[in-house]
Amino acid sequence: MAEVSLRHIRKVYPNTERGRRGGLFGRRRSEQGRASTQGRASTLKVTDEGVLAVPDFNLEIADREFVVLVGPSGCGKSTTLRMVAGLEEISGGELHIDGRLMNDVAPKDRDIAMVFQSYALYPHMTVRENLSFPLKLRKMPQEQIDTKVSEAAKTLGITEYLDRKPKALSGGQRQRVAIGRAIVREPKVLLMDEPLSNLDAKLRNQMRAEIIKLRQRIDSTFIYVTHDQTEAMTLGDRIVIMRDGEVQQVGTPQEVFDHPANIFVAGFIGVPQMNFFDAELVRTGAAYEVRVGGVVVAPSAEKQARLAAHDVPTQPITLGIRPEHVSLATGGARTLQGTVDVSEMMGSSVHLHLRSLGQDVIVIVQTMDVDGSHRGGYAIGETVEFTFGGDVIHLFATDATGGNLEF
Amino acid sequence: MMHTEQTLVAERRRKTILSVVLAIICVIYVLPVAAVVVNSFKLNTFVKTETFALPTEQSFAGFSNFITGMTFGNYPFLKSALYSVVITILSTGLILLFCSMAAWYIARVNSRACRAIYYLCVFSMVVPFQMVMFTLSKTADTLKLNTPWTIPIVYLGFGAGLAIFMFVGFVKSIPLEIEEAAAIDGCGPLRTFFSVVLPMLKPTLISVGILEIMWVWNDYLLPVLVLDLNEYRTIPIHIQYLKGSYGTVDLGATMALILLSIVPVIIFYLACQKHIIKGVAAGAVKG
Repeated sequence: MAEVSLRHIRKVYPNTERGRRGGLFGRRRSEQGRASTQGRASTLKVTDEGVLAVPDFNLEIADREFVVLVGPSGCGKSTTLRMVAGLEEISGGELHIDGRLMNDVAPKDRDIAMVFQSYALYPHMTVRENLSFPLKLRKMPQEQIDTKVSEAAKTLGITEYLDRKPKALSGGQRQRVAIGRAIVREPKVLLMDEPLSNLDAKLRNQMRAEIIKLRQRIDSTFIYVTHDQTEAMTLGDRIVIMRDGEVQQVGTPQEVFDHPANIFVAGFIGVPQMNFFDAELVRTGAAYEVRVGGVVVAPSAEKQARLAAHDVPTQPITLGIRPEHVSLATGGARTLQGTVDVSEMMGSSVHLHLRSLGQDVIVIVQTMDVDGSHRGGYAIGETVEFTFGGDVIHLFATDATGGNLEF
Repeated sequence: MMHTEQTLVAERRRKTILSVVLAIICVIYVLPVAAVVVNSFKLNTFVKTETFALPTEQSFAGFSNFITGMTFGNYPFLKSALYSVVITILSTGLILLFCSMAAWYIARVNSRACRAIYYLCVFSMVVPFQMVMFTLSKTADTLKLNTPWTIPIVYLGFGAGLAIFMFVGFVKSIPLEIEEAAAIDGCGPLRTFFSVVLPMLKPTLISVGILEIMWVWNDYLLPVLVLDLNEYRTIPIHIQYLKGSYGTVDLGATMALILLSIVPVIIFYLACQKHIIKGVAAGAVKG
């Protein structure tokens, strides 16, 4: 129901006592945030003002879009979300919701709702009271509250728990109530801060599906924070990958998977992680080839064109290949050799961890062919050969940023 | 094998000794209360001679001590009981309301001023009352804090230390997200406090309330120094006035009134015991 626009948003946790102004809402986290950022502060910038948690965040979120902020812990994704919520003061930049500047607007007047990782239900109220609390605060007539609460309860399947206290509910039920409390007042923007992290794996999958369904039913714009790349890929219309407060890439799940902007994104998105090799990119005239461990691979025509367009010279590179794009082979000029380190049986496939060219390489091998014939097991220490095609390789610079050479 | 048996025996002996010591301590604690109960039903002359004996046919006085005590002098006992109740309720109410609010602010706003206030409160617990009582009684007179309706403000000051200390401990164990959720749901700070924080503080409210009630109800020194004793007396002061002329004391009546004054507290404590333990432990361990 609303566009959200974040322009040059900055967050600095001040070092000085005077900088940390007291106040009941919004500024209280500073101490905590500072402690957590300083704990692993090596990569975060420390300026004269303090610790720079988010240096410059820019994002335009369309109406009804589902945007997922994803990144390792401490990357500033939750801080960014809390700035949108108004729980954290914005140190610089502009936040607009539905075209209105929101920097200094109180959380309650932003027309947003938030689901917390720890559920944050009111423990002394029943589920019904929890759901109706935000509506009561808006002075809605009682009949209308009842209708809305029962609708939300029906949507989330919690009707039978309406008269229970939160402590009598399981984790999954509590999270449903928390989501119910957020959707019951139909906010313009629905913020979710790692809502599934406290649930076990099975329940998490189930709730993920519920959120996808919920999303079809309500008109809010979603901003979702997670450190789990599976959640990011399955839920988001667009994914924002963050690291040390900086946006690494913004794109649809398919885009970031197929064309990662740098080594960090390539390694973060995709399970198991992408394999990386030290290789060399050689340019002869307009044609490029990649040399890795004595094997020569020619990138696809599309990649060649992009490399040529950027006038990429001959240079050492980091070559990335996803495990699902590597296949076992026997003989042939374009195969590399590796010894089996670990063989993980996953059911439909085997994840083979190989030692090759001094690197760990993961290969996914299907256990059953389409014709029903089984592939045999792999003994530890066994030598196998593997290969990959030129259209699935990713070429990254070897400098600190590890940027994709095609970009 | 031998070694284990020896340790077991030593352990058992240690436990026995401990039990005996603890039993003796219990008896020492109970003895004065038992003496009060027993002597309140004895004739005045037997109180001094047979202090710890049970009332006999000869020494039993029935309820005469209670009647004497309650009708002694020209100040009605019921009036002092009423003032005791008023002061206790007002003081405890003030302490609970203001200290929980202050503690919430101190726990949540991490500024140097808040820390200073917190340590000031904690420090106030170790300052003996006797050190401040004379200046205090003068100040209370000047500020007209010398009536049952205003003395609760003085109690608020003395009770704040312990109350804030306990509330801060508990508030810190409440997850901040709940208050943030309230802020997003549409609560201002006041609403957040009264609708969300205060109900969650219930266990600590009860335990602090009980501690303060017992203290204010039994307190003698502060009202005796501050109140205008011709007009206002509390139960402990009333008991003290049972001293007759030339220093004679009606011990039987005194015992009877002491019993009357401790019975409500004991009943109250027994009724709320469960909550006291819960509240005291609540802030200590993260649940």
